[in-house]
Amino acid sequence: MRTVIKSVFTALAVSASGAAQAFSVFACEPEWGALVKALHPSAQVFSATTHLQDPHHIEARPSLIARLRRADLAVCTGASLEVGWLPMLQSRSGNAKVQDGQPGMFYAAQFVKLIGQYEGVVTPFSGDVHPEGNPHFHTDPRRLLQVAAALRDRLIQLNPAEASSISEQYASFLKALSERIPVWEAKANRLKGKSILTQHATFGYLWEWLGIRSVGDLEPKPGMSPTPGHLERLRAQMSQSAAQAIVIAQHHDKRPAQWLVQQQATGKTPLVILPATVPEVSSTALLTWLDGLVVTLTQEIK
Amino acid sequence: MRDEGKLEHHTENLWIQTRTLPAGLQAKLGRFSSQIGYLNEQHPHADDFTERPLLYRGFLGGHWYDDGLRLNWTAPTPFYLRFGVEAFSGKQLIKEAETKKSPGAQTFSMKTGGDFDASNSWQFGLSYLNNRRQAEVHEHGEDEEEHDHAHGAEFSGKRMWMTDLVYKWAPNGDSKNQQVRLIWEHARVGGIHPESGSLRHSGTSLAAVYRFHPSWEVGARTDWLKVNKPELHDDGAGPELEFGSGRLRENALMIAYKPNHMQTYRLQWSRQTATGGDEPVFASPVKNSIQFQVVIGFGAHGAHSY
Repeated sequence: MRTVIKSVFTALAVSASGAAQAFSVFACEPEWGALVKALHPSAQVFSATTHLQDPHHIEARPSLIARLRRADLAVCTGASLEVGWLPMLQSRSGNAKVQDGQPGMFYAAQFVKLIGQYEGVVTPFSGDVHPEGNPHFHTDPRRLLQVAAALRDRLIQLNPAEASSISEQYASFLKALSERIPVWEAKANRLKGKSILTQHATFGYLWEWLGIRSVGDLEPKPGMSPTPGHLERLRAQMSQSAAQAIVIAQHHDKRPAQWLVQQQATGKTPLVILPATVPEVSSTALLTWLDGLVVTLTQEIK
Repeated sequence: MRDEGKLEHHTENLWIQTRTLPAGLQAKLGRFSSQIGYLNEQHPHADDFTERPLLYRGFLGGHWYDDGLRLNWTAPTPFYLRFGVEAFSGKQLIKEAETKKSPGAQTFSMKTGGDFDASNSWQFGLSYLNNRRQAEVHEHGEDEEEHDHAHGAEFSGKRMWMTDLVYKWAPNGDSKNQQVRLIWEHARVGGIHPESGSLRHSGTSLAAVYRFHPSWEVGARTDWLKVNKPELHDDGAGPELEFGSGRLRENALMIAYKPNHMQTYRLQWSRQTATGGDEPVFASPVKNSIQFQVVIGFGAHGAHSY
């Protein structure tokens, strides 16, 4: 108990010292952590999730409440992606800075146009649908730039003393990414019009950007795991017109996709497993990761 | 739930909560579930078994919500640390009281927790309930109709201590495909009656749930309950106060199919065994029961706690 009390007082003393403390950022997903690192390298960034987790299904763990309690800014996707856990963290943290509507709560989805809005009536049997649209827009570098501009403004608003440094960092991020986009587009040009099977809308924006057609989803309904009956229908569909690849994310269960691949003629349909986001939170992670996605796809899809 | 030909309904949640108090403070006012123990504050529709553990059914009327006020403080520590106090009317806990005080019940609680690593996390809680409403004593055998839902505590006392420990595992913290949850809770009730001396009630629950597939979970739970119930016995010479002792043990196994988080289909087997004196408190334990439960959620749903 004495250690507990001691660390409470240490923590209080640290928070009282104010300015000496680094600007603390809670990123719901690692891509936003990496973006903060690119724009404001001196920020202390914590990512609540990793590329090995499905961001829809995160436990509101005590450690995450403790992290959000001490954050100056939370950067999240929004569009209901974190609806199952972030509101609980916000409420339990008791941190006034990161509540909705405060400058310390940044939702990236407010600054981009979403695709894939669910237009039907949501019932308990619709699956985990997002009426707002597909929230996985970080796989489109053009939308990343839109978010970066808004995040630059927010970081400056919260750190006015760092305004010039953040603007400079933003300018170099904008330059680096803008230079890469046409290179990636040229490299992936031959993938245009290829048809693939996917799992969930995880890479929906990547396909839209590169002109790849997703002709089937391993999930029978959004968020619902592949079922034997649905896989059988996909197998039948592929025997009619073969897809050029099956692409899933690293955090998905590999077995359903592996089963479908085994049903195809050997070597005909590759299984491509991509990280759904950056595997590390660093200022260069987004570029490296996007580069990896394009390279892997061009190598694997014939 | 039907009762005397009427459809029963009750409001369990009607509250306002502050979000912008300084220094990690949060206040809540209205009707809400007390934060004592682990399960009490969880939404019952998210439970892993068809009924709450024996200690909840015995000491908290299954799920205790009440009208009151809460003040919590989350410490700015590297690990999770939260202290809280609540004051309630207590009317939902003790329906028929001999002594009526206001507030009828107060709670003090703390929660702490953290991660061992990316795959393993834990939470520990300690809570105290100060109940100022002394329950009326009934005649032996005059049992209130059994309900499983917030109809007041069957066994009560002035003081209750609860401890809870939760451990969860998921590979790389990704609980979608695989997860293990272990939940242990213990409660001890003292001050059963002004004449009960050092007699106590106690209850323990240990549950393990394994999600082995995104849509499938299996679980096992074992519960113990030990009570000393104040009862009036009339052997012809007028009613006399006696303390009927009883022990109840319950084991349950369940399998649940959850195609998405709006739907749960659960099959559960449970078995109770009871021991007691000549006039046992638990005269008719449920020897074997098979239950099938369907939970369907409608509308936008809030986030779940750990």
